[in-house]
This record gives sequence, C-alpha cells and structure tokens, in this order.
Amino acid sequence: MELNPCMKHKVVRGAAREFAEGELGPIAAEIDHQARFPWEAVEKMQALGYFGLQAPRTMGGAGLDTISYAIVIEEVSRVSAGVALCITVHNSVCLYPLLTFGSKEQKARLAPDLISGKRIGAFCLTEANAGSDAGAVETTATAQGSEYVIEGTKIFVTNGAVCGLAHIFAKTDPGDPRSAAVLMVEKERAGFSVGEIEDLSGMRSNPVSSIFLANCRVPAENLLGKPGQGLKIGLSALDTGRIGIAAQALGIAQAALESATRYAKERQQFNKPIASFQTIQNYLADMSTQTEAARLLLYRACALKDAGKPFSTEASMAKLYCSAAAREVANLAVQIHGGYGYSREYDVERYYRDAKVTEIYEGTSEVQRMVIARGLLSRPS
Amino acid sequence: MKIVVFLKQVPAVSELPWDKKTGQLKREAAAGVMDPAAKHALEAGLRLKEAHGAKLITICMGPPEAEEVLREAVALGADRGFLLCDPRLAGADTLATSYTLARAVGAVCPDFDLLLLGCHSADSETGQVGPHLAEELGLPAAAYVEKLELAGRKLMVERVSDEWLETLEMDLPALITVTPRAFAPRPVSMTGVEQAFGGGEVFVLSAADLRADSGHVGWAGSAGQVVRVYAPNIDKKGVLIEGAPKACARELLDRFGDRIGALLAKDLGEAD
Repeated sequence: MELNPCMKHKVVRGAAREFAEGELGPIAAEIDHQARFPWEAVEKMQALGYFGLQAPRTMGGAGLDTISYAIVIEEVSRVSAGVALCITVHNSVCLYPLLTFGSKEQKARLAPDLISGKRIGAFCLTEANAGSDAGAVETTATAQGSEYVIEGTKIFVTNGAVCGLAHIFAKTDPGDPRSAAVLMVEKERAGFSVGEIEDLSGMRSNPVSSIFLANCRVPAENLLGKPGQGLKIGLSALDTGRIGIAAQALGIAQAALESATRYAKERQQFNKPIASFQTIQNYLADMSTQTEAARLLLYRACALKDAGKPFSTEASMAKLYCSAAAREVANLAVQIHGGYGYSREYDVERYYRDAKVTEIYEGTSEVQRMVIARGLLSRPS
Repeated sequence: MKIVVFLKQVPAVSELPWDKKTGQLKREAAAGVMDPAAKHALEAGLRLKEAHGAKLITICMGPPEAEEVLREAVALGADRGFLLCDPRLAGADTLATSYTLARAVGAVCPDFDLLLLGCHSADSETGQVGPHLAEELGLPAAAYVEKLELAGRKLMVERVSDEWLETLEMDLPALITVTPRAFAPRPVSMTGVEQAFGGGEVFVLSAADLRADSGHVGWAGSAGQVVRVYAPNIDKKGVLIEGAPKACARELLDRFGDRIGALLAKDLGEAD
C-alpha cells in the first residue's frame, strides 16, 4: 500500500477542502441548528461532480478511485458531516449498486440523473422491526403482470425528504426470507410518499424521514438484479457504504482534533495556555494517534478495493475503528473545551452529536464485529 | 488566440522559517499550494478562453512537486502545462526568473497573444517578475489589473493606481498582472481531477530544453542577493497616565499634543 499520498490525492484533498471551507464552512453551524438541508450548496456540489464521484467518466462521472472518494467524504465531513452524509449515501449505497448490478438499460435510464445529482439517491432497508437483521423486512413487492406492487413502511431513511430515487428492500414472497429484492422507485410514482422529518440528535442538516409505500406500482424493469439477489446487493452496497461512513467519521475526528488543539493553545488558565498542562497534552496525543490510525485503516480498505481484492473485512474494521475514534476524539474535544464545549456556540458540541451515529448507521459497531469475526473464523487455520 | 498563464507554487502557511545562512525561506516546511494571485490570473485566463475560444497554456518554475499546480490548472480548464524543473534554475532572483520565463515562452509558445501573471506572489511579494518579463520580451504591460475586456486585437484593462482607477487600451501581444481583488477563482470540479491526471498534458523542461544561457539562470544569473530576512518588530506599548483629571489632560497634551493635533487636523480636513 502506498503510504505517501500521491499528487492526485493531494489535489483531490485540496479541491474538496477549499470547497468545503468556502461554501459549507459559513453555514455548517446554522444548517445544523435549523435542521435545514442546504440546497444552495448542494446545487453547487451537483455542478462540481460530487454526486458521481466514482461513476465512470464516460457516463459523466468523476471516475475517482476509492481513496480519492474517501478523501472527498473526509474533507466535506471535516466541515459538515451532515452534508457529507447526503453525498456518501447517494454515491455508495444508491448509485454504486445501480452501476454494479443494474442492466445496461437500467443504467442508461436511471444513472445519468443520479450522476448529475438531479435525483438524490436513498437506500431503504431499515423498518420498525428490521435493521441489523436485514432478513426480517416486512415490506413486500408482489409481482402482478409486468409490475411489482410494493407495500410497506421504511424508517430512518437518509436523504428521505429530498430523494428522487430510492432503493427499496422488499420480499417478493413474505414467507421466504431469501426472497429479498431491491426495487428502484422514483419519487413521483403513485403510492410513494415521505413521512415527517425525524428530530435526530446529530446530522441534523439531512432530512432523514420515513418512506411510505402504499399500493406503489413499479414496472418489473425497476427490479435491480434478479429476484432473490436483494440480500447480496444490499450487503455489497453496505461494504462500500462502510468506507463512506468510516471516511465521514474520520472527517469528524479530524475536525474535533483541530478545534481542540487550537483551543488548548488559546485558552488560558492559571496564567498559561491549557496546552501546557500534561493532561491536556496526553488527550491531544491520544486524539491525534487515534485519528491517524483510523486514517491508515480506512485508506488500506480503499486500496484493497481499488486493487480489486476482497475488502469486506477491512471495510468493517475501518468503519468500526473510525466511528469509535470519532466518538472518542469528539468527546475529548468537548472535555478540553470545558463548559464552552457543551455550548451550541462551539462546533465541538456538533461534532460530538454527529460522531455518535457513525457507530450506529450502515451497520452498528456490533454488526461490524460480527462481520470481522466471521471473516476471521472462516479462514482455514 | 493563445494565452500563457504563469503559475507558482508557494507554501500554504503565511509565516515560514528561513535559512539564516542563505536568507532563503525553508519552503519544504509547508505543503505547497498554487499561489493565490496566480490562481486569480489563471481564472482571468480561463474566462477569456471561454469567451473567445482561446488555447490556455500554463508555465511554472519549481521543484518536481510543483507539477501539482500545473495539474490543478488542467483540472480547472487549462489545455496543458510546462514545468521548468532543473537544479540549475534553483535560487533564482526576480531577474533570473524573468529571463528563464522569457526563454520558456519562446520555447513552448512563441506565438502567444497574452501573458498573464499574479501581481505578486504570496511568499516573496516583490511584484517584479511581471514587469521584468515584459521588459525581457519587449511587451506593453499593465500591472494590478482588475478588469479585462478583449475586442479584436485590442485589450481594455482597468487597473488600480494609488487612489485612481485607470482605464488603458493596449495592443496584443501584451502582458498583464492581475490583483487578487478581482477574478475570484472557480472551485476545482471532481470531474476535472481525473481528467488532469488521466492524460499526459504536463511536460517537464530543463535549462537545456530552454536553450538558456547558464550564466543568466538560477543562483548564477541572480543580480540580487538576500542579505538578511527578519520578521518586522511591531512593538506597541500602552501608556498609563495617572493622577487628577486636569493634570492627566495636561500631561497627555504635553507628551502627545503633536500627534493628537495631527489627528484632529486630519479629521477636520476630511470634514471639509
């Protein structure tokens, strides 16, 4: 694995950082406080290729490698994790499965609007009684002539209220857990509706909502892959999704580390900067080490994916470690800020709320451990 | 139409340590970025390219890492870039730099119409290379330009000069340096990045490729030498005058009367 960033990765980082600091920096706190989806910034990101980061250039995408992809998500997240969430979910769990499992016709029909960002993508697996246990979904897609009729309710859908295309996980046979299928549903289909926006602790600029499917009819051509392939498609999408969430967590950790370092040098107590106290130095040393370890683990998973090698275990390790690091680094950043860190006037409070959910969505830390252990135990000893 | 934009890679931080022996900045201590003013010059060039269908070439002198700013320029829309990279070119002052850049233009784009530069770089801020280069090439030049309009072979420019805004008309070919107050640079698009690194649109040239006279480039060709570099010592001290109000006022006028008078006069003058 290349440990020194290549020139391209430096340019990608510079470009994403400049955009994020310039366009998202001034609004990051406000969109969190107001729980507002920043269309004005999203439109700029559409024009700059952020909605087709890894899509082939022949299709109008940016054609970036996975390390570049992670760097972009990391840099956007360093400024606004909420905006990074929109981008990573769109790219890795909506566009990526379409490009990987979609037919030529499906890609020609549905990918251009996703790549340009005209349609924002969503991925709807979670239900009231199904999440980590993906086989327990109760939504059904019943074949009727040349259509599927979808019935069910999805919850905690990232990009829910702004999505133009949603991948719906449903069973074609309610009695058969192996009949999971993925239906691609455009928002204008009759029977597709969006519930109220969730009042969540973090990532508040993303309009996470429920999606209702009531007698929602889609043509059979909107089935992604084959019937019964749903679980395979979902797991594959989540492998890639984990890289995105790990990158998002890394961006939060980096932001928290920078804020805490700056504050520790400025804040005076006992007539000296608090950075001169050994306890604070120890905190900063641990935060910095965890952030760097998280970065290396993530880039390794990305490098494996770019090399066409299996990366599922490594992606889970990266997601598990990066999210824990983000939570811990943000926690210490709040601690270093003292009372101010608990105030909404300071960004570290937002980092702390945003960090927590990276341990929960797109596979909880408990599920990541299951995946890692399964990989470990299935190897011949 | 052919436009050449000169770029420079500068350290990303505002203050750098320097080598006390040579007086040179320790540029390796910070990551390199495209010089901000040069970035504005590139934007000015890209706007002309879009409006008039020009070909845009970039030239940068620097170490191998400086290739990065040429790639970034391609990502932003430049057609190709040339890196002047040779140990013999190192240590150049503004005179040697201007000579080298003039040789480079002659080598890669002798039939240019317009040369664009930033008005001064963020690391050394001399503002000399643009005017020097115009002298080397015998071109009409305008520095600190804020507005550019092209009509046929004539260029209308607006430039700031002290408190004045000048409008000048000049014939092409010409040289312009732009201020960072105008031509706000566009962001690098993600689609541009892969384009910039996918093809071979950046070329490296040595001193020999430029057919440069070795006595005119790098250290050897530099007439100026940095004798000393130091941080300006800004020393402001507060003065506390204590005592009864009247006595304080008297002492204040005794000690600072001249300066207070000057400030009052300035205020009164402005009120007229």
